[in-house]
Amino acid sequence: MGVHLLNYRPWRGEFKEPSASVWPIARVGLRMMFRFWPFWVIYGLGLMIFLLFFFGQYLLAWAETQTAETDVRVGGFGSADPRVLIGVLRNILKLNGSGETYRNFLWYQGYIVMVVLALAGAMLVGNDVRHGSMPFYLAKPLSRWHYVLGKCLAVAVFINMMTTLPALALFVQYGLLDSWDYFLDHARLFFGILGYGAVLTVTFSVLLVATATWLKRTVPMIMTWATMFLFPRLVAPLLVDGLHFDARWRLIDLWNDTYLLGNWCLGIDLEQIRPSPQPAFAEAAAVVVILCAVCLTYLLRRVRAFDIVK
Amino acid sequence: MSQALGTEDAVPGTRTPSHLRAWLYLVGLSLQRQMRFRQMVWIALALLAGSVLLVAARTATGRWGMHQWRMWRGVAPVSFESILDRVTAATEAGAALGLPTSAGQEAVLMSFRALLDQTDFIVLSTWLVFGIFVSFLLPLWSLSFATEALGGERESHSLLWLLTRPLPRPAIYLAKYVALLPWALALNLGGFALLCLAAGRPGPQALRLYFPAVLCATLAFASLFLLIGAYFRRPAIIALVYSFFLETILGNMPGTLKRVSISFYTRCMMYDAAQSYGVQPEKPTVFLPVDGTTATCVLLGLTVALLALGMFLFSRTEYVAVE
Amino acid sequence: METTSSRPVESVTPSPSPPTPRPNGERGAITSPLSPLGRGVGGEGTPPLLLFDRVSKWYGPVLGVNQVTLELRGGITGLVGAHRAGKTTLLRLATGQLRPDLVDVSVLGHDAWTERGKRLVCYCPDIDAFYEEMSGEQFVFTMARLCGYDAAEAKARTAAALDTVRMTGRADRVLRGYSKGMRQRIKMAQALMHDPKLLILDEPLSGIDPVGRNEFIALYRQLAERGKCLLVSSHELDELEKLTDHVAVMARGRIAAVGTLTQIRDLLDDHPLSVRVDAERARPLAGALMALPDVVGVELRDAGTLIVQARNPRRFFQELTTLVLEEGYEVSHVETLDDSAEAILGYLLGGRARR
Repeated sequence: MGVHLLNYRPWRGEFKEPSASVWPIARVGLRMMFRFWPFWVIYGLGLMIFLLFFFGQYLLAWAETQTAETDVRVGGFGSADPRVLIGVLRNILKLNGSGETYRNFLWYQGYIVMVVLALAGAMLVGNDVRHGSMPFYLAKPLSRWHYVLGKCLAVAVFINMMTTLPALALFVQYGLLDSWDYFLDHARLFFGILGYGAVLTVTFSVLLVATATWLKRTVPMIMTWATMFLFPRLVAPLLVDGLHFDARWRLIDLWNDTYLLGNWCLGIDLEQIRPSPQPAFAEAAAVVVILCAVCLTYLLRRVRAFDIVK
Repeated sequence: MSQALGTEDAVPGTRTPSHLRAWLYLVGLSLQRQMRFRQMVWIALALLAGSVLLVAARTATGRWGMHQWRMWRGVAPVSFESILDRVTAATEAGAALGLPTSAGQEAVLMSFRALLDQTDFIVLSTWLVFGIFVSFLLPLWSLSFATEALGGERESHSLLWLLTRPLPRPAIYLAKYVALLPWALALNLGGFALLCLAAGRPGPQALRLYFPAVLCATLAFASLFLLIGAYFRRPAIIALVYSFFLETILGNMPGTLKRVSISFYTRCMMYDAAQSYGVQPEKPTVFLPVDGTTATCVLLGLTVALLALGMFLFSRTEYVAVE
Repeated sequence: METTSSRPVESVTPSPSPPTPRPNGERGAITSPLSPLGRGVGGEGTPPLLLFDRVSKWYGPVLGVNQVTLELRGGITGLVGAHRAGKTTLLRLATGQLRPDLVDVSVLGHDAWTERGKRLVCYCPDIDAFYEEMSGEQFVFTMARLCGYDAAEAKARTAAALDTVRMTGRADRVLRGYSKGMRQRIKMAQALMHDPKLLILDEPLSGIDPVGRNEFIALYRQLAERGKCLLVSSHELDELEKLTDHVAVMARGRIAAVGTLTQIRDLLDDHPLSVRVDAERARPLAGALMALPDVVGVELRDAGTLIVQARNPRRFFQELTTLVLEEGYEVSHVETLDDSAEAILGYLLGGRARR
């Protein structure tokens, strides 16, 4: 036997199902993002809103114990009437542990989620297409759906890191401040948060992967993404509130559509949703479903032809 | 191999190479290569088309002025125009009946109507110029070309070819800036002009008054985003975070912290230019505007300072492809 | 360096005493003797074409190039070394894409980072990136214009350079559709176009078919004959051996040896070498090894590890292989204990000395 043959050992393991590749694909993407420092800066900015809510709840709980006083000192900032303080926190920020608390939190996260997703899209999918790592994935015994799923999964992790997880943390915190019964009495909110999170996750991961696959380059991708999110968010209120167009014009704002669905998940009446008027829940759902279907169809057609026709 | 080897023999009359010629060529090349970012141009144009349509729709419905704005909402909504019409009608009816009409009364009515007619400019300013253009279109359009100028070359690794040419590095940076300006200015000023034209009557006035502010803001934004492109590996993201997160947050905060944002000075220039037409910040005591001259100086100074900083950074930074 | 006063470094004439391969490259300046082809540039008075004077470059905490001293005055010098040994870093320092952290790299006395340095160097990079939308001809023309030539001059230079690399008539298609070899030729054409004295070529032969390789090797020789100085990197020694006899071996960021291949080989034969051998029957193997003529000592570390001192590594490894195969020893591990020597050997022995 030749010496050089000593090094060769045939592969004796067993191949797993192709579906086992979804998580590794996602993991590679996640690791890449976590190593990129601006991501943490943006994530830190995103946590600011969470911290506002988090400490707001504490402040509220503390103020509620001080109602006997007429005047309390708030940190080093001066003094305030506890009832006023409670009023502000309860009614304006809606820090009352109701569905509106979590809904508001998730609504405020919109901007930063949009930015994180723009980053994620450019890095996760754009990179593969631009640097030609696509063939490595497609040459493996897995279908394009596994690839798409893997990427969507990675995006989903980011979305949930910004939205669902902090919202759940607020839920747990409120329960601990209030009483254990809160968890039982408001179990619906728990599922509502998960539902809102699921809506966000599915819609935005599919949309993002489709956009990134379509545009590939970072700058166009970011421009499109900004156009899809920031522009309708600016325009829709101007149209509906300013020009008194039909409330259905708000449907062009995708973040508002998911917001409506989230309200539905959390069991909040349509009339109570600000800004009003709002289109019906079903209409928002229809927009989201149609958009996801379009994106999935595009992905189905696109991921196949990616590298063969360059 | 070939006899042409050692090109000095083959080339008739070896003319000395010139830095200036190389620099001018680089400007031309960069200018021309910007055209290649078709996707980006298309998106920018699509955005422009969408905005123009929106503005045109509003113009077509004649809703720029405050004529249709209503008072006593919820109780008995009455629009300004209808009040004015009724008052005028009542005055005329009174005159017909022989009631005395003072010249003062006429004058008040006329000036009120003139004021109402002028509100279209105020609405246009708040709605289009401040609401959509300055806070969204201007930064986004500036961002697109400015971050792509260096960022695109870095992304495709072709910056290497420029850096190994016998050109001083600050000159390369300056060439990139000069080459991106026509695009950014065409998009920002041209886009703004189109939007104003689509707005009908108050449009030309808005264009005339706000033109300098848009120009200065474009220069400053281009300078900033090019710097971001020279410094960060993913400039577009950083620029996006800056323009839609920091500028938005800082720009709306009370206090003087917002004075670090470019859009603040742009707005100040605009408020200053349109002061006599009644355009002013929603809460001047919170916004604390600076006067127009200061704002112009700051924007131009910022442009030069950021350009200098960019040239300095670019001439000291190593750009090699990371494996 | 022991003394700093003796800059610039030693002479450039072919030294009567062969340069010593220095396993620790920092000791002493390594001067490039002329390769048989070169005519050399200048004499003692003129600054060398390319001078690295104890240059170090860090990438964050990683040392990319460590105290490299190298002086080139003419001829073809090959730069060999494993992947990530620092070859590309060295070449990028020479072309002003990287700035050394310690001491400067100079080209004919000018800092390589500045544009005056760059005017004197031409570079054929290893990165396969172009302005893909241009044709090969347009690309070379663009590069000429960016060097500051006017249109007529740039056109003439482009034509000449394309002719040199045999791309005339083939360079009007868009670069995106070129084969690897054609892209390599276009890179070479742009390097030749502005005709400086110093050519720095990073892996210029990779991706080229054998016929093309021979053409290019002939071209490099002609260039050297015309008084150009070439620094050519490659990770294949076989390839470089056809081109030049004079090489610098890089290992882990240092220049491990400089000289002609024969000199390096001869010197290595005298360079005692420590080799670790792990085997099951260590004791009998030790006995058998002692019987080999090139083994000067064997140390039995523990149950299964031997440290062998050998004199002529090339012959030693051949003998070791024969011994192991014929006598049927179960050897699980062979490792050279000297880093620089290992790298040199790895190249000179065609990979046999490596694990």
